[in-house]
Amino acid sequence: MTDDERARELTPPSAPALRLRGISKRYGPVVASDNVDLDVHHGEIHGLLGENGAGKSTLMKILLGLVQRDSGTIMRGETPVDVHNPQAAVALGIGMVHQHFSLIDALTVWENVILGDTGKIDRAAACRQVEEVSRRYGLPIDPTARVDRLSAGERQRVELIKCLRRDPSVLILDEPTSVLTQAESAELFTVLRHVVRAENRAVILISHKLAEITAATDRVTVLRKGKVVFHSETSATTPPELARQMVGRDVSLRAEGAALGMLPVDGAPAPADPGTGTGTDAAAPGTAPALRLRDLTVTIDGVAVLSDLSLDVAPGEIVGLYGVEGNGQSTLGDLLSGLVLPTSGTVELAGRPVELDRPGALHRAGLGIIPEDRHSSGVVLDMSVAENLVMKSIGDVSGRGFISRRRMHAIARRLAAEFNIVTPSMDTPVRSLSGGNQQRVVLARELSAGPGVLIAAQPTHGLDVGAIEDMYQRLRDAASGGVAVLLISTELEEVMALASRIAVISSGRITGVLSTGEATAERLGMLVGGVAA
Amino acid sequence: MTASSAAVPSGTGRRLLRHLNPGPYGWQTTAATVLALLVALALSSALIAITGGSPAASVQALFQGSMADWTAWTSTLLYMAPLLLVAVGACVSARSGLFNIGQEGQVLIGALAAAWVGLRLAITGPVLLVVMLAAAALAAGAWAGLSSLMYRLRGVNVVVSTMLMTFVAQQVVAYAVNMPWLLQESRVGNAPVSPQSNPLPPSGLLGSFGEYPDLQINGGLILAVVAAVLVAVAITRTPWGFRLTMLGRNPLAAKHAGVRVNALGGAALAISGALAGLAGAVLLASPVGVNRLQPGIAMNIGWDGLLVALVARNRPLAAMPVALLFGVLRSGGGFLAATGVPSFLVDVVKALLVLAFVAPPVVVALVRRRRSSDRTAGSRREATPVAEEAIA
Repeated sequence: MTDDERARELTPPSAPALRLRGISKRYGPVVASDNVDLDVHHGEIHGLLGENGAGKSTLMKILLGLVQRDSGTIMRGETPVDVHNPQAAVALGIGMVHQHFSLIDALTVWENVILGDTGKIDRAAACRQVEEVSRRYGLPIDPTARVDRLSAGERQRVELIKCLRRDPSVLILDEPTSVLTQAESAELFTVLRHVVRAENRAVILISHKLAEITAATDRVTVLRKGKVVFHSETSATTPPELARQMVGRDVSLRAEGAALGMLPVDGAPAPADPGTGTGTDAAAPGTAPALRLRDLTVTIDGVAVLSDLSLDVAPGEIVGLYGVEGNGQSTLGDLLSGLVLPTSGTVELAGRPVELDRPGALHRAGLGIIPEDRHSSGVVLDMSVAENLVMKSIGDVSGRGFISRRRMHAIARRLAAEFNIVTPSMDTPVRSLSGGNQQRVVLARELSAGPGVLIAAQPTHGLDVGAIEDMYQRLRDAASGGVAVLLISTELEEVMALASRIAVISSGRITGVLSTGEATAERLGMLVGGVAA
Repeated sequence: MTASSAAVPSGTGRRLLRHLNPGPYGWQTTAATVLALLVALALSSALIAITGGSPAASVQALFQGSMADWTAWTSTLLYMAPLLLVAVGACVSARSGLFNIGQEGQVLIGALAAAWVGLRLAITGPVLLVVMLAAAALAAGAWAGLSSLMYRLRGVNVVVSTMLMTFVAQQVVAYAVNMPWLLQESRVGNAPVSPQSNPLPPSGLLGSFGEYPDLQINGGLILAVVAAVLVAVAITRTPWGFRLTMLGRNPLAAKHAGVRVNALGGAALAISGALAGLAGAVLLASPVGVNRLQPGIAMNIGWDGLLVALVARNRPLAAMPVALLFGVLRSGGGFLAATGVPSFLVDVVKALLVLAFVAPPVVVALVRRRRSSDRTAGSRREATPVAEEAIA
């Protein structure tokens, strides 16, 4: 197919390539998509901006046939179409590059590209096609290279080639730059420009980075809580406006509500210097911070996942680390769990630097952590409640080289009562507990060690309302007991409800630290979007 | 031993092998196992009948060779000792999540080290035996440790490397018994020399309690039982065993809890190798063989010991009766061959028995899981996507 033929096939630029009308989708009580209208035109890059949970992904899943809408119409040009499965989406010319690559590491590039094709495998033809697509779009790649040897940027090229070779008229990219270096991001946008300008395709760019949206898109739509709250030509709006729309006007209300739950702690220092709006913050004068992160940098595959991250948390204080998912929070959590070593930088607890390369050093230095993914590192599902509760202090329940089951069970029973862990017995495997009770097991274990610092990474993820309330209360109690709490969360409500200071993380950096009082929608939005406010 | 103390091997089969633990569905598993055993016995009888034997006579022969009198029992127990040692070692590594399947080679290396000490070092008296056993354990432990080293330095899969090292071990032993300067037997006059070592000196032999024709308990069996009890206590009652279990069940959580993951895993592998090496020394020094190092000295004890651990679901104490059963099959199997039943049929019977023991828990767990996922699918799909995928 030549470019001319393709141009003829596409509908004229006046009619939108894709038109969504009144798309709604609810999951039980949660409305993920609320009467969404969206027009995407040929020859333009359309930015889709929103926080976690704004409904961007649900909308795209509906477009791709991965999720069925409850109501609404999808139109290609002027014809209503039905996207009931991913094959239908492909047939309609809708292609997507997901944020988390769907490549198979052990296969080569060309194998990954033709994955899912039917019919005879023709290696030579597949390689030729990969080379042809890569030449046309300036995406240099060796078709015979194994994917696990490729950098994140190269993997994304493979994903793009996978999409582009099917000749899509609408190309969707979900947070495409989250794993890319600056240079790679710039290259990507050059390719996207070419795709829309020279070939008249439509591109939907999902992002939370304001700089990216303003630099790369022609039109922008902001989603919040499933609704379209803002729509504009990109040239007619400003980053502060977009930031305000993304986070919402009711942020100050949320702060007031949160203030009720905030604790004035006796003897604890007031939240540090409320005027700080820059990358570093100083602890309140005269008090040593319980937790001090200094210039933490973690580089994975040449990409700085965390860069020069510095943050202090004082005793009795809850600091919220807020940001959109995938901005380095999990790496920070892994680092503070002792699973990842920093490329540079230090972690100080109570004024003393921790030797991070020694197993268990953080725990011994008085750091407790509720990890983001409790199943992977928080608990051992096949071990009992009692065993999970004493896991980090097994030496304390042992005498003369043997574990005392009696002592282990006594401790477990005490903790279970104290933390309301509902379990048939102390010997029940943690696997058969509910999520809320599993999380209580983690919390009980971490707090029973009497930590000076508690890290709570997405502590209410996947919990029901009652369990969330309980977790909030426990965190507040811990702080009023003098523990320095660092709450890592992607939920603004959560951060506003618990924290007295909010540090915003974007692309692995702290873009600013605000007190809850001064956290306006615009400032938070700018910081989340990677623009200093 | 409680249910929670069974271990989980790792690697590719971690998730599947988790179902080898006796789960909360005890009676169903038991019923399924009994059923599977009956099927295995029926199939075995049918096979014997098809190949022209008589099932009844075969059972008779099996019994005669293994349990009919004290001599038969003695021979059964002689096989049980190395089988148990290998199995106990397999329990240790499997519990740590590393699946060592190279016991056959580690047995050979243990036998080689013991033979070299026994024949080449001028040690006299009972000390010789102690040094032989220690050398066997050390050498085989180091041999298994090589696999752990390969994993740490180059990420070589432990299952693959331990198994392949078995073939290297076979070559090493074959070389040793073919080289006069190493371990090949001395030439006597003009008699041809075979690829084997000289017999061990009497002080290098494991003695037995009891005299023929009464029951004889060899020192090797005592060693094996002591090892089984010690390991059982160590892995269920000590902080070390607790960390080992944690490592096997969730390496990430173990690392998070401050376990020295690499050191502990390497130690587990080395211990499992050392126990297999002890089995090699027992094979060499007990009356089960000819007390010479020969290329075939391991007699597949390494592979069978692995099966013992599999059937015992990696519990050292449960490995004792299972090792006894496998000892019965070995000593009875030799006798069976005398009745005209092809001896390889004994291996087939053994395989069927292993399947009968190993398959039911897996099947029961899979069936349960399918049923429960069918049942909860409806309600769960309503509830959980909110948290997991819906509004990401």
